[in-house]
Amino acid sequence: MAEARKSMIKFKPKKFKVGDTIKVDFIVIHPMDTGLKKNKKTGEIKPAHYIDNITFSLDGKPFTTMKVWETVSTNPYFSVNLKVPGKGKVTVDYTDNTGEKNSKSKKLKPKG
Amino acid sequence: MKKTILSLAFLSTMAMLQLNAGEQFAMSDADRAMYKEMLENNPADIYVEEGGELFEKLGDETALAKFLGITEKELPKYIAGFPRYVKKLGNVVGLDQVMQAMEVEQGKKKTKLKSGKMFSMMAYVKSLANDEAINIDLSEPHEKEAYELGKKTYMTARGGRGLACNSCHSKDIVGQVLRTQPLPDLGEVAVAGTWPAYRMTKSSLRTPQRRFQGCMKNALLKVIPIGSKEMIALEVYVATLAQDKNKKISIPGLKR
Amino acid sequence: MKRRNFLKGICAASAVAATMTPSGLLAKDAPKGGNVLSYDAAVKAITGGKAVADSAKVSLTVPEIAENGAVVPVKVNVESPMTEADHVKAIHVLTTKNGNSRCADVMLTPMNAKGYFATRVKLGGTQDIVALVEMSDGNFLRAAKPVKVTIGGCG
Repeated sequence: MAEARKSMIKFKPKKFKVGDTIKVDFIVIHPMDTGLKKNKKTGEIKPAHYIDNITFSLDGKPFTTMKVWETVSTNPYFSVNLKVPGKGKVTVDYTDNTGEKNSKSKKLKPKG
Repeated sequence: MKKTILSLAFLSTMAMLQLNAGEQFAMSDADRAMYKEMLENNPADIYVEEGGELFEKLGDETALAKFLGITEKELPKYIAGFPRYVKKLGNVVGLDQVMQAMEVEQGKKKTKLKSGKMFSMMAYVKSLANDEAINIDLSEPHEKEAYELGKKTYMTARGGRGLACNSCHSKDIVGQVLRTQPLPDLGEVAVAGTWPAYRMTKSSLRTPQRRFQGCMKNALLKVIPIGSKEMIALEVYVATLAQDKNKKISIPGLKR
Repeated sequence: MKRRNFLKGICAASAVAATMTPSGLLAKDAPKGGNVLSYDAAVKAITGGKAVADSAKVSLTVPEIAENGAVVPVKVNVESPMTEADHVKAIHVLTTKNGNSRCADVMLTPMNAKGYFATRVKLGGTQDIVALVEMSDGNFLRAAKPVKVTIGGCG
Protein backbone atom coordinates (compact mmCIF):
# COMPACT_ATOMS: atom_id res chain seq x y z
CA MET A 1 0.00 0.00 0.00
CA ALA A 2 1.46 3.38 -0.97
CA GLU A 3 2.05 5.60 2.04
CA ALA A 4 -0.42 8.46 2.14
CA ARG A 5 1.95 10.57 4.22
CA LYS A 6 5.59 11.39 3.64
CA SER A 7 7.99 10.30 6.35
CA MET A 8 11.56 9.21 6.94
CA ILE A 9 13.28 6.77 9.25
CA LYS A 10 16.95 7.45 9.90
CA PHE A 11 19.44 5.32 11.79
CA LYS A 12 22.34 7.09 13.49
CA PRO A 13 25.11 6.33 12.97
CA LYS A 14 24.51 5.07 9.43
CA LYS A 15 27.09 2.29 9.85
CA PHE A 16 26.75 0.02 12.89
CA LYS A 17 27.41 -3.52 14.10
CA VAL A 18 25.28 -6.13 15.85
CA GLY A 19 25.18 -5.19 19.54
CA ASP A 20 25.53 -1.45 18.93
CA THR A 21 22.90 0.90 20.32
CA ILE A 22 21.77 3.24 17.59
CA LYS A 23 19.35 6.14 17.39
CA VAL A 24 16.16 5.55 15.47
CA ASP A 25 14.82 8.87 14.19
CA PHE A 26 11.39 9.28 12.66
CA ILE A 27 10.24 12.46 10.91
CA VAL A 28 6.83 12.78 9.33
CA ILE A 29 5.00 15.50 7.41
CA HIS A 30 1.79 16.11 9.36
CA PRO A 31 0.00 19.39 10.21
CA MET A 32 -0.45 18.55 13.92
CA ASP A 33 -3.30 21.11 14.02
CA THR A 34 -4.32 21.98 17.56
CA GLY A 35 -7.89 22.88 16.71
CA LEU A 36 -7.23 26.38 18.04
CA LYS A 37 -6.07 28.16 14.92
CA LYS A 38 -8.04 29.69 12.07
CA ASN A 39 -7.57 29.07 8.39
CA LYS A 40 -6.24 32.50 7.30
CA LYS A 41 -8.16 32.38 4.04
CA THR A 42 -11.58 31.18 5.20
CA GLY A 43 -11.58 32.42 8.79
CA GLU A 44 -12.81 29.01 9.93
CA ILE A 45 -11.15 27.19 12.79
CA LYS A 46 -8.95 24.39 11.48
CA PRO A 47 -10.13 21.23 13.28
CA ALA A 48 -7.68 19.38 15.49
CA HIS A 49 -5.68 17.00 13.31
CA TYR A 50 -2.68 15.37 14.91
CA ILE A 51 -0.83 12.08 15.21
CA ASP A 52 -2.01 10.39 18.39
CA ASN A 53 -0.35 6.97 18.51
CA ILE A 54 2.97 5.62 17.29
CA THR A 55 4.42 2.13 17.56
CA PHE A 56 8.03 1.29 16.73
CA SER A 57 8.53 -2.41 16.01
CA LEU A 58 11.41 -4.64 15.04
CA ASP A 59 10.31 -7.55 12.83
CA GLY A 60 6.80 -7.20 14.17
CA LYS A 61 7.82 -6.96 17.83
CA PRO A 62 6.95 -3.55 19.34
CA PHE A 63 9.84 -1.96 21.24
CA THR A 64 8.45 1.53 21.84
CA THR A 65 4.94 2.91 21.88
CA MET A 66 3.97 6.54 22.12
CA LYS A 67 0.87 8.50 22.90
CA VAL A 68 1.20 11.87 21.19
CA TRP A 69 -0.71 15.12 21.60
CA GLU A 70 -1.39 18.14 19.40
CA THR A 71 1.21 20.06 21.38
CA VAL A 72 3.98 18.33 19.47
CA SER A 73 5.35 20.45 16.59
CA THR A 74 4.05 20.35 13.03
CA ASN A 75 6.02 17.92 10.83
CA PRO A 76 7.16 16.19 14.01
CA TYR A 77 10.30 14.36 14.93
CA PHE A 78 10.60 11.45 17.37
CA SER A 79 13.81 9.78 18.43
CA VAL A 80 14.56 6.71 20.58
CA ASN A 81 17.40 4.22 20.88
CA LEU A 82 17.54 0.59 19.77
CA LYS A 83 20.13 -2.07 20.58
CA VAL A 84 20.75 -3.89 17.30
CA PRO A 85 20.16 -7.64 17.73
CA GLY A 86 20.88 -8.50 14.10
CA LYS A 87 19.48 -7.98 10.63
CA GLY A 88 15.84 -7.01 10.57
CA LYS A 89 13.22 -4.47 9.66
CA VAL A 90 12.16 -1.50 11.76
CA THR A 91 8.55 -0.43 11.22
CA VAL A 92 6.85 2.69 12.49
CA ASP A 93 3.06 2.45 12.55
CA TYR A 94 1.22 5.67 13.31
CA THR A 95 -2.37 6.79 13.51
CA ASP A 96 -3.93 10.21 13.88
CA ASN A 97 -7.07 11.48 15.59
CA THR A 98 -9.09 11.15 12.37
CA GLY A 99 -8.38 7.44 12.33
CA GLU A 100 -5.90 7.66 9.45
CA LYS A 101 -3.36 4.82 9.66
CA ASN A 102 0.11 4.88 8.14
CA SER A 103 3.24 2.84 8.21
CA LYS A 104 6.90 3.29 7.29
CA SER A 105 9.64 0.68 7.31
CA LYS A 106 13.39 0.59 6.99
CA LYS A 107 15.73 -2.38 6.83
CA LEU A 108 18.23 -2.74 9.64
CA LYS A 109 21.52 -3.79 8.06
CA PRO A 110 24.31 -4.14 10.59
CA LYS A 111 27.83 -4.62 9.21
CA GLY A 112 29.46 -7.50 11.05
CA MET B 1 41.58 52.64 43.06
CA LYS B 2 42.82 52.71 39.49
CA LYS B 3 41.96 49.04 39.02
CA THR B 4 38.33 49.54 40.10
CA ILE B 5 37.79 52.47 37.74
CA LEU B 6 39.30 50.58 34.84
CA SER B 7 37.12 47.54 35.35
CA LEU B 8 33.99 49.63 35.73
CA ALA B 9 34.69 51.37 32.45
CA PHE B 10 35.43 48.04 30.85
CA LEU B 11 32.20 46.53 32.16
CA SER B 12 30.02 49.37 30.97
CA THR B 13 31.63 49.24 27.53
CA MET B 14 31.00 45.52 27.36
CA ALA B 15 27.40 46.02 28.47
CA MET B 16 26.85 48.60 25.76
CA LEU B 17 28.46 46.39 23.15
CA GLN B 18 26.27 43.53 24.27
CA LEU B 19 23.10 45.57 23.98
CA ASN B 20 24.07 46.71 20.54
CA ALA B 21 24.80 43.15 19.46
CA GLY B 22 21.39 41.98 20.63
CA GLU B 23 23.12 39.78 23.17
CA GLN B 24 20.09 39.59 25.44
CA PHE B 25 18.24 37.69 22.76
CA ALA B 26 21.22 35.90 21.27
CA MET B 27 21.58 32.17 21.56
CA SER B 28 23.95 30.64 24.08
CA ASP B 29 26.48 28.11 22.80
CA ALA B 30 24.40 25.29 24.27
CA ASP B 31 21.31 26.56 22.46
CA ARG B 32 23.26 26.92 19.23
CA ALA B 33 24.37 23.30 19.54
CA MET B 34 20.77 22.15 19.97
CA TYR B 35 19.64 24.04 16.88
CA LYS B 36 22.60 22.68 14.90
CA GLU B 37 21.49 19.17 15.87
CA MET B 38 18.04 19.90 14.51
CA LEU B 39 19.60 20.21 11.07
CA GLU B 40 20.19 16.45 11.18
CA ASN B 41 16.44 15.92 11.41
CA ASN B 42 15.17 18.60 9.14
CA PRO B 43 11.61 18.04 7.87
CA ALA B 44 12.88 19.69 4.69
CA ASP B 45 14.82 16.46 4.01
CA ILE B 46 11.50 14.86 3.18
CA TYR B 47 10.63 17.64 0.73
CA VAL B 48 14.07 17.32 -0.85
CA GLU B 49 13.45 13.59 -1.27
CA GLU B 50 10.07 14.37 -2.84
CA GLY B 51 11.79 16.85 -5.14
CA GLY B 52 14.18 14.11 -6.17
CA GLU B 53 11.30 11.87 -7.16
CA LEU B 54 9.73 14.64 -9.26
CA PHE B 55 13.11 15.45 -10.82
CA GLU B 56 13.56 11.80 -11.71
CA LYS B 57 10.43 12.04 -13.86
CA LEU B 58 12.11 14.83 -15.82
CA GLY B 59 15.08 12.62 -16.57
CA ASP B 60 17.36 13.28 -13.62
CA GLU B 61 20.87 14.74 -13.76
CA THR B 62 21.37 13.26 -17.20
CA ALA B 63 18.54 15.26 -18.73
CA LEU B 64 19.50 18.41 -16.82
CA ALA B 65 23.13 18.27 -17.93
CA LYS B 66 22.01 17.68 -21.52
CA PHE B 67 19.57 20.61 -21.34
CA LEU B 68 22.28 22.92 -20.03
CA GLY B 69 24.85 21.70 -22.52
CA ILE B 70 27.37 20.49 -19.94
CA THR B 71 28.61 17.14 -18.62
CA GLU B 72 27.05 15.50 -15.56
CA LYS B 73 30.35 15.85 -13.76
CA GLU B 74 30.24 19.63 -14.23
CA LEU B 75 26.71 19.85 -12.77
CA PRO B 76 27.40 20.47 -9.05
CA LYS B 77 29.75 23.39 -9.66
CA TYR B 78 27.48 24.76 -12.37
CA ILE B 79 24.41 24.59 -10.14
CA ALA B 80 26.33 26.52 -7.46
CA GLY B 81 26.49 29.42 -9.93
CA PHE B 82 22.72 29.96 -10.14
CA PRO B 83 20.88 32.20 -10.89
CA ARG B 84 22.80 32.07 -14.12
CA TYR B 85 22.73 33.05 -17.75
CA VAL B 86 21.45 30.05 -19.70
CA LYS B 87 22.12 30.64 -23.37
CA LYS B 88 19.30 28.31 -24.43
CA LEU B 89 16.81 30.51 -22.60
CA GLY B 90 18.49 33.81 -23.45
CA ASN B 91 18.14 35.06 -19.87
CA VAL B 92 19.61 34.92 -16.41
CA VAL B 93 17.32 32.40 -14.75
CA GLY B 94 16.83 30.43 -11.56
CA LEU B 95 16.91 26.64 -11.25
CA ASP B 96 13.11 26.64 -11.05
CA GLN B 97 12.82 28.30 -14.44
CA VAL B 98 15.19 25.71 -15.90
CA MET B 99 12.92 22.97 -14.53
CA GLN B 100 9.93 24.64 -16.14
CA ALA B 101 11.75 24.96 -19.46
CA MET B 102 12.60 21.27 -19.35
CA GLU B 103 8.95 20.43 -18.76
CA VAL B 104 7.95 22.52 -21.76
CA GLU B 105 10.63 20.89 -23.89
CA GLN B 106 9.33 17.46 -22.88
CA GLY B 107 5.74 18.41 -23.66
CA LYS B 108 4.81 18.16 -20.00
CA LYS B 109 2.54 20.43 -17.99
CA LYS B 110 4.44 23.38 -16.47
CA THR B 111 4.77 23.29 -12.69
CA LYS B 112 4.03 26.73 -11.27
CA LEU B 113 7.08 28.54 -9.90
CA LYS B 114 5.18 29.36 -6.72
CA SER B 115 4.16 25.80 -5.87
CA GLY B 116 5.18 23.23 -3.28
CA LYS B 117 6.25 20.83 -6.04
CA MET B 118 8.57 23.39 -7.62
CA PHE B 119 10.06 24.36 -4.24
CA SER B 120 10.79 20.70 -3.55
CA MET B 121 12.34 20.13 -6.98
CA MET B 122 14.41 23.28 -6.70
CA ALA B 123 15.66 22.23 -3.27
CA TYR B 124 16.64 18.80 -4.58
CA VAL B 125 18.48 20.13 -7.60
CA LYS B 126 20.28 22.80 -5.57
CA SER B 127 21.31 20.13 -3.05
CA LEU B 128 23.25 18.42 -5.83
CA ALA B 129 25.67 21.33 -5.41
CA ASN B 130 26.13 20.82 -1.66
CA ASP B 131 29.64 21.71 -0.47
CA GLU B 132 30.40 23.61 -3.67
CA ALA B 133 31.42 27.24 -3.28
CA ILE B 134 28.87 29.75 -4.51
CA ASN B 135 30.30 30.95 -7.81
CA ILE B 136 28.32 33.61 -9.62
CA ASP B 137 30.25 34.29 -12.82
CA LEU B 138 30.41 38.07 -13.06
CA SER B 139 32.66 37.92 -16.12
CA GLU B 140 29.59 36.89 -18.12
CA PRO B 141 27.96 40.15 -19.34
CA HIS B 142 24.31 39.13 -18.76
CA GLU B 143 25.23 37.96 -15.25
CA LYS B 144 27.02 41.26 -14.59
CA GLU B 145 23.94 43.13 -15.81
CA ALA B 146 21.76 41.12 -13.42
CA TYR B 147 24.20 41.84 -10.60
CA GLU B 148 23.97 45.59 -11.23
CA LEU B 149 20.17 45.47 -11.37
CA GLY B 150 20.14 43.38 -8.20
CA LYS B 151 22.40 45.80 -6.40
CA LYS B 152 20.22 48.70 -7.50
CA THR B 153 17.10 46.87 -6.26
CA TYR B 154 18.82 46.12 -2.95
CA MET B 155 19.78 49.78 -2.48
CA THR B 156 16.55 51.44 -3.68
CA ALA B 157 14.46 52.91 -0.89
CA ARG B 158 10.76 52.48 -1.56
CA GLY B 159 7.41 51.82 0.09
CA GLY B 160 5.56 53.49 2.93
CA ARG B 161 8.61 53.69 5.20
CA GLY B 162 11.16 54.56 2.50
CA LEU B 163 13.21 51.45 3.16
CA ALA B 164 15.67 49.53 1.05
CA CYS B 165 17.12 46.06 1.82
CA ASN B 166 20.26 47.94 2.69
CA SER B 167 18.45 49.94 5.37
CA CYS B 168 18.44 46.89 7.64
CA HIS B 169 21.17 44.73 6.17
CA SER B 170 24.03 47.19 5.65
CA LYS B 171 27.30 46.63 7.51
CA ASP B 172 26.55 49.48 9.94
CA ILE B 173 23.12 48.21 10.95
CA VAL B 174 23.80 44.48 11.00
CA GLY B 175 23.73 43.09 14.53
CA GLN B 176 21.23 45.55 15.92
CA VAL B 177 18.06 44.07 17.32
CA LEU B 178 14.81 44.44 15.44
CA ARG B 179 11.71 42.72 16.80
CA THR B 180 13.84 40.66 19.22
CA GLN B 181 16.12 39.29 16.52
CA PRO B 182 19.58 40.62 15.60
CA LEU B 183 19.59 41.76 11.96
CA PRO B 184 21.70 39.39 9.88
CA ASP B 185 24.49 40.05 7.41
CA LEU B 186 23.04 38.31 4.37
CA GLY B 187 26.49 37.27 3.17
CA GLU B 188 27.65 35.95 6.53
CA VAL B 189 24.53 33.83 7.06
CA ALA B 190 24.91 32.67 3.47
CA VAL B 191 21.32 33.23 2.41
CA ALA B 192 22.25 32.01 -1.04
CA GLY B 193 23.85 28.87 0.37
CA THR B 194 21.24 27.87 2.92
CA TRP B 195 17.95 28.61 1.21
CA PRO B 196 15.70 26.74 0.24
CA ALA B 197 15.24 26.05 3.92
CA TYR B 198 12.63 24.73 6.34
CA ARG B 199 11.11 27.68 8.10
CA MET B 200 9.96 26.81 11.61
CA THR B 201 7.55 29.74 11.80
CA LYS B 202 5.88 28.59 8.57
CA SER B 203 6.36 24.84 9.04
CA SER B 204 7.26 24.55 5.37
CA LEU B 205 10.04 24.65 2.80
CA ARG B 206 10.74 28.20 1.64
CA THR B 207 12.92 29.45 -1.22
CA PRO B 208 15.16 32.54 -1.06
CA GLN B 209 12.91 34.59 -3.33
CA ARG B 210 9.92 33.75 -1.19
CA ARG B 211 11.85 34.82 1.89
CA PHE B 212 12.68 38.12 0.22
CA GLN B 213 8.97 38.57 -0.43
CA GLY B 214 8.19 37.97 3.25
CA CYS B 215 10.72 40.57 4.26
CA MET B 216 9.37 43.05 1.71
CA LYS B 217 5.85 42.62 3.11
CA ASN B 218 7.12 43.35 6.61
CA ALA B 219 8.99 46.42 5.49
CA LEU B 220 5.94 47.70 3.63
CA LEU B 221 7.63 47.36 0.23
CA LYS B 222 5.57 46.24 -2.72
CA VAL B 223 6.37 42.60 -3.23
CA ILE B 224 8.42 41.76 -6.34
CA PRO B 225 7.09 38.70 -8.24
CA ILE B 226 8.93 35.40 -8.09
CA GLY B 227 10.87 34.71 -11.27
CA SER B 228 10.78 38.33 -12.39
CA LYS B 229 13.86 40.06 -13.75
CA GLU B 230 14.30 42.16 -10.59
CA MET B 231 13.79 39.23 -8.21
CA ILE B 232 16.33 37.07 -10.06
CA ALA B 233 18.73 40.02 -10.11
CA LEU B 234 18.25 40.46 -6.36
CA GLU B 235 19.04 36.80 -5.84
CA VAL B 236 22.21 37.18 -7.91
CA TYR B 237 23.34 40.18 -5.87
CA VAL B 238 22.61 38.49 -2.52
CA ALA B 239 24.46 35.40 -3.75
CA THR B 240 27.58 37.49 -4.38
CA LEU B 241 27.41 38.70 -0.77
CA ALA B 242 27.87 35.11 0.34
CA GLN B 243 30.40 34.46 -2.40
CA ASP B 244 32.54 37.30 -1.08
CA LYS B 245 32.70 35.38 2.21
CA ASN B 246 33.54 32.09 0.50
CA LYS B 247 30.31 30.47 1.53
CA LYS B 248 29.26 27.05 0.28
CA ILE B 249 25.95 25.49 -0.68
CA SER B 250 24.29 23.54 2.15
CA ILE B 251 20.74 22.60 1.29
CA PRO B 252 18.27 22.28 2.91
CA GLY B 253 18.71 24.88 5.64
CA LEU B 254 16.70 25.25 8.85
CA LYS B 255 15.56 28.72 9.84
CA ARG B 256 13.42 30.46 12.44
CA MET C 1 16.83 58.76 6.38
CA LYS C 2 18.42 58.94 9.82
CA ARG C 3 19.27 55.32 10.67
CA ARG C 4 18.76 55.42 14.40
CA ASN C 5 15.33 56.97 14.09
CA PHE C 6 13.94 54.63 11.52
CA LEU C 7 14.77 51.57 13.59
CA LYS C 8 12.84 53.02 16.50
CA GLY C 9 9.90 53.60 14.19
CA ILE C 10 9.78 50.01 12.99
CA CYS C 11 10.07 48.23 16.27
CA ALA C 12 7.92 50.61 18.33
CA ALA C 13 5.60 47.99 19.74
CA SER C 14 7.82 44.97 19.47
CA ALA C 15 10.32 45.56 22.25
CA VAL C 16 8.25 43.71 24.82
CA ALA C 17 7.75 40.75 22.52
CA ALA C 18 9.93 38.47 24.60
CA THR C 19 7.17 37.56 26.99
CA MET C 20 4.18 37.92 24.72
CA THR C 21 2.20 34.88 23.71
CA PRO C 22 1.09 34.33 20.13
CA SER C 23 -2.66 34.81 19.75
CA GLY C 24 -4.68 31.65 19.59
CA LEU C 25 -2.62 29.71 22.11
CA LEU C 26 -3.28 31.52 25.40
CA ALA C 27 -5.42 29.11 27.38
CA LYS C 28 -7.79 31.67 28.78
CA ASP C 29 -8.49 33.39 25.46
CA ALA C 30 -8.48 30.49 23.05
CA PRO C 31 -11.51 28.40 22.18
CA LYS C 32 -11.25 25.25 24.24
CA GLY C 33 -9.87 22.33 22.28
CA GLY C 34 -10.99 18.94 23.45
CA ASN C 35 -7.71 18.16 25.20
CA VAL C 36 -7.42 20.93 27.79
CA LEU C 37 -5.62 19.59 30.84
CA SER C 38 -3.65 21.60 33.37
CA TYR C 39 -0.16 20.57 34.42
CA ASP C 40 -1.24 19.58 37.92
CA ALA C 41 -4.16 17.55 36.62
CA ALA C 42 -1.91 15.82 34.09
CA VAL C 43 0.65 14.90 36.73
CA LYS C 44 -2.11 13.53 38.96
CA ALA C 45 -3.54 11.51 36.08
CA ILE C 46 -0.13 10.02 35.31
CA THR C 47 1.09 9.34 38.86
CA GLY C 48 -2.23 8.63 40.52
CA GLY C 49 -1.15 11.07 43.22
CA LYS C 50 2.06 9.20 43.99
CA ALA C 51 5.12 11.18 45.09
CA VAL C 52 7.43 12.55 42.39
CA ALA C 53 11.11 13.15 43.14
CA ASP C 54 13.26 15.67 41.30
CA SER C 55 16.19 13.58 40.18
CA ALA C 56 19.61 14.26 38.72
CA LYS C 57 19.26 10.93 36.93
CA VAL C 58 16.88 12.65 34.53
CA SER C 59 18.72 15.00 32.25
CA LEU C 60 16.50 17.32 30.26
CA THR C 61 17.98 19.35 27.42
CA VAL C 62 15.96 22.26 26.09
CA PRO C 63 17.08 25.65 24.74
CA GLU C 64 17.27 28.54 27.21
CA ILE C 65 15.70 30.76 24.59
CA ALA C 66 13.49 29.31 21.88
CA GLU C 67 13.80 31.35 18.71
CA ASN C 68 10.36 30.18 17.78
CA GLY C 69 7.69 28.76 20.09
CA ALA C 70 6.30 26.39 17.45
CA VAL C 71 9.41 24.20 17.22
CA VAL C 72 11.23 23.74 20.54
CA PRO C 73 13.68 20.83 20.72
CA VAL C 74 13.44 18.57 23.80
CA LYS C 75 15.85 15.79 24.73
CA VAL C 76 15.45 13.47 27.72
CA ASN C 77 18.12 11.09 28.99
CA VAL C 78 17.46 8.91 32.02
CA GLU C 79 20.30 7.01 33.69
CA SER C 80 19.13 3.42 33.71
CA PRO C 81 20.51 -0.06 32.97
CA MET C 82 17.32 -0.68 30.93
CA THR C 83 17.18 -4.32 31.98
CA GLU C 84 13.98 -6.28 32.51
CA ALA C 85 14.41 -5.80 36.25
CA ASP C 86 15.35 -2.12 36.17
CA HIS C 87 14.31 0.16 33.32
CA VAL C 88 12.50 3.31 32.35
CA LYS C 89 8.87 2.38 31.83
CA ALA C 90 7.73 5.69 30.44
CA ILE C 91 8.89 9.23 29.77
CA HIS C 92 6.13 11.83 29.85
CA VAL C 93 6.93 15.19 28.32
CA LEU C 94 4.79 17.99 29.77
CA THR C 95 4.64 21.77 29.76
CA THR C 96 3.47 23.92 32.64
CA LYS C 97 1.36 26.54 30.86
CA ASN C 98 0.03 25.14 27.57
CA GLY C 99 -3.76 24.58 27.53
CA ASN C 100 -3.05 20.89 27.07
CA SER C 101 -0.03 20.32 29.25
CA ARG C 102 0.72 16.92 27.76
CA CYS C 103 3.05 16.55 24.76
CA ALA C 104 4.00 12.88 24.57
CA ASP C 105 3.92 9.70 26.64
CA VAL C 106 6.72 7.39 25.55
CA MET C 107 6.61 3.78 26.72
CA LEU C 108 10.11 2.31 26.46
CA THR C 109 11.31 -1.29 26.79
CA PRO C 110 14.68 -2.96 27.46
CA MET C 111 15.10 -3.22 23.68
CA ASN C 112 15.75 0.52 23.64
CA ALA C 113 18.88 -0.07 25.77
CA LYS C 114 18.84 3.61 26.81
CA GLY C 115 16.34 5.79 28.63
CA TYR C 116 16.33 8.34 25.84
CA PHE C 117 13.69 10.23 23.91
CA ALA C 118 13.76 13.40 21.81
CA THR C 119 11.13 15.41 20.03
CA ARG C 120 10.06 18.99 19.26
CA VAL C 121 7.13 20.67 20.97
CA LYS C 122 5.00 23.79 20.75
CA LEU C 123 5.16 26.32 23.55
CA GLY C 124 2.36 28.86 23.86
CA GLY C 125 4.69 31.21 25.73
CA THR C 126 7.53 31.24 28.20
CA GLN C 127 7.12 28.30 30.62
CA ASP C 128 8.76 25.14 31.94
CA ILE C 129 9.17 21.89 30.03
CA VAL C 130 8.97 18.89 32.34
CA ALA C 131 10.13 15.30 31.92
CA LEU C 132 8.12 13.05 34.24
CA VAL C 133 9.67 9.59 34.30
CA GLU C 134 8.07 6.35 35.48
CA MET C 135 10.52 3.65 36.46
CA SER C 136 9.85 -0.10 36.40
CA ASP C 137 9.85 -0.14 40.23
CA GLY C 138 6.87 2.21 40.20
CA ASN C 139 8.79 5.29 41.26
CA PHE C 140 8.36 8.65 39.55
CA LEU C 141 11.29 10.97 38.81
CA ARG C 142 11.23 14.44 37.37
CA ALA C 143 13.33 17.18 35.79
CA ALA C 144 12.04 20.60 34.74
CA LYS C 145 13.62 23.48 32.85
CA PRO C 146 12.36 26.96 31.88
CA VAL C 147 12.29 28.02 28.25
CA LYS C 148 11.98 31.65 27.22
CA VAL C 149 9.91 32.03 24.08
CA THR C 150 10.68 35.02 21.90
CA ILE C 151 8.13 36.17 19.40
CA GLY C 152 9.39 38.48 16.76
CA GLY C 153 11.70 38.70 13.80
CA CYS C 154 10.88 40.01 10.39
CA GLY C 155 8.97 38.06 7.79
